[in-house]
Amino acid sequence: MINTMRVATALSVLLLAGAARADGDAVRGEARFQDCAACHRLEAGTNNVGPSLHGILTRKAGEIADFRYSPAIKRSGIVWTPETLDKFITDPQALVPGNRMPYAGMANASDRADLIAYLTKASQ
Amino acid sequence: MTTKLKEVDVVIVGLGWTGGILAKELTEAGMKVVALERGGMRTSENDYSLPNIRDELRYVVRHDLMQNTARDTLTVRNNPQQEALPMRRLGSFLPGEVVGGSGVHWSGHTWRWTDMEFKIRSNYEERYGKKFIPDDMTIQDWGISYAELEPYYEKFEYTAAVSGKAGNLAGTIQDGGNPFEAPRARDYPLPPLTPILASEMFTNAARNAGYHPFPRPSANASQPYTNPDGSKFGGCQYCGYCQRFGCEANAKGSAHMTVIPIAMRSPNFELRTHSWATKVLKDSDGKRVTGVTYTNVLNGEEFEQPASIVLLCAYGINNVHLLLLSGIGAPYDPVAQKGVVGKNYCYQTGAGATLFFEGKYFNPFMNAGGSNATIDDFNTNWAFDRAPHDFLGGYNVSGGFNTALPIGYRPVPSGTPQWGTAWKQATAKWYQTAMVINASGSVMANRYNCFDLDPTYRNAFGQPLMRMTFDYKDNEHKMGVHAAQVINDVAKSMNPTKLNPARARTDPWTVVPYQSTHNTGGAIMGTTPRESVLNKYLQSWDCHNLFVIGANAFPHNSSYNPTGPVGALAYWTADAIKNRYVKNPGPLVQA
Repeated sequence: MINTMRVATALSVLLLAGAARADGDAVRGEARFQDCAACHRLEAGTNNVGPSLHGILTRKAGEIADFRYSPAIKRSGIVWTPETLDKFITDPQALVPGNRMPYAGMANASDRADLIAYLTKASQ
Repeated sequence: MTTKLKEVDVVIVGLGWTGGILAKELTEAGMKVVALERGGMRTSENDYSLPNIRDELRYVVRHDLMQNTARDTLTVRNNPQQEALPMRRLGSFLPGEVVGGSGVHWSGHTWRWTDMEFKIRSNYEERYGKKFIPDDMTIQDWGISYAELEPYYEKFEYTAAVSGKAGNLAGTIQDGGNPFEAPRARDYPLPPLTPILASEMFTNAARNAGYHPFPRPSANASQPYTNPDGSKFGGCQYCGYCQRFGCEANAKGSAHMTVIPIAMRSPNFELRTHSWATKVLKDSDGKRVTGVTYTNVLNGEEFEQPASIVLLCAYGINNVHLLLLSGIGAPYDPVAQKGVVGKNYCYQTGAGATLFFEGKYFNPFMNAGGSNATIDDFNTNWAFDRAPHDFLGGYNVSGGFNTALPIGYRPVPSGTPQWGTAWKQATAKWYQTAMVINASGSVMANRYNCFDLDPTYRNAFGQPLMRMTFDYKDNEHKMGVHAAQVINDVAKSMNPTKLNPARARTDPWTVVPYQSTHNTGGAIMGTTPRESVLNKYLQSWDCHNLFVIGANAFPHNSSYNPTGPVGALAYWTADAIKNRYVKNPGPLVQA
């Protein structure tokens, strides 16, 4: 039993380390966006507690001029792609230690794929 | 010189939970509303996000969100024979002073007070006889029923994103909830928060003792949530900075991120910050009010804001103060027992134990405002016979943490030196390994506990300070003895390495240190103008276009946090104004 659990854990670590899944469902992803919506808007120029996500997949991290980012995000050098976004949302503090987003992460890979599929459409 | 402004439909004094709820509801009903807030504008995006938060020095030590005592404070004494002295620094309680009010820095505990409180005198007289209530205990029925308020409790719980577990759904007792609560039509909008280790340990011990533990209902969203008005909440991150801080995750139900922004989007609404209301103006026959005067605290300019309806929505104590300064209603005299304004001021009482477990790792930073389990067996449980213990009211007991701040939280076992190497070592050893079990107890009204205007001291506007006369009485002392026993029995059953036991308090009340911001009474609701300031709609008996909304309306204090009924009563009053008062202005209850 213990061995099976270890194998399962090892497998999930491998899956986490893999590339973001491209089969996300944008409709389901809209529901996942509720995790983000208390702080992020999708319209251009509407920063809230978090920066606007408009055009997120065409931007570098920390790029919106009138948002007060953490030094950690500004220094991160991340270019937002479905892959980097997937890594970030999995565990934000693991990818960018010291960033200020109060969010523990979205553990489920297919939830993240759905969310990213939604963001890809809705942030344009 | 006072500038007279153009008349509006409604002027609101104070923009916290009650002012925010009424501002939203009345602007949506088409009324022109002006809100006066003595503090400044604060928003989640500008003020309650890093690096502006998690700053204990700024918010806890220096009271960044609270009333400035250099401008206005209270004088305090224990009984009418003493000379009251001014409270020059905030201590025992913390009134808020920003847009959002105390609803920014609360923990989120949201309870439904029931007919056990609303019909308190009738209940005790019926069960125990009239003589059971001491002569100087001025408890009285509230003039409202739980059934009337139930839909409004629900409305507030769904607005504020309360997480919890129902104990009584429409009469059916639910496993894991509070079995003693009154029936509710719907469950809480969100499931309970994830329990922390300390609350799980308390839950097990309390259950083994035969009690009925349940997760404390709290406006800390246990998952992302959109309320019925469309306000969006993030899920609680258990960061531990709840009480006295704004929430960085938008997870704590607060007026500044729900009802207030909705009101502010309405063209019918105007907010004036830094506006200190100094007086409610009466018309010549004294039957109506005509508006308020206020001072811009940034430049000293004085204004008169005429209005058809005046709503006092400041902190409860400040509402009572404004009535006394404005000469509305007869001031209460505790010696002659005449008058009503200032009557039945109540506080809360308590007892607490700290338990130390060598080798346990509680990680006290990981918690939320509602990370406690609670038992109500000695509170809303009417089967608990008070007669052998000779007290009225009750107390709830909770185990876990509320907050474990790095500067102020220093649990050490009794007998540890208070400074030096030994203290430092003990602090390092026990910081991660301590948990608390606390009781919060009701305070019954007493004829000598009250407010009036101080004869000596004045505030920055030249007005007399409010004078508070308060002390605990025999009833609270007896309850404290009972509570301490219950806490210590549960605590010992958990086999802590060391235990700082709970002790019943016997010393006179003092205004330091911090105890609770749950001040109630002074402008109370009731069934007759002889015994109360307000009718059941929180409408002044004296001036029908004046409503006074807040915990000032409670005729006594229960063991529960007051925000549940404060929020529910705000919605209740809003409905009464929208649906009845504006159609036919006049008293909603005939005296």
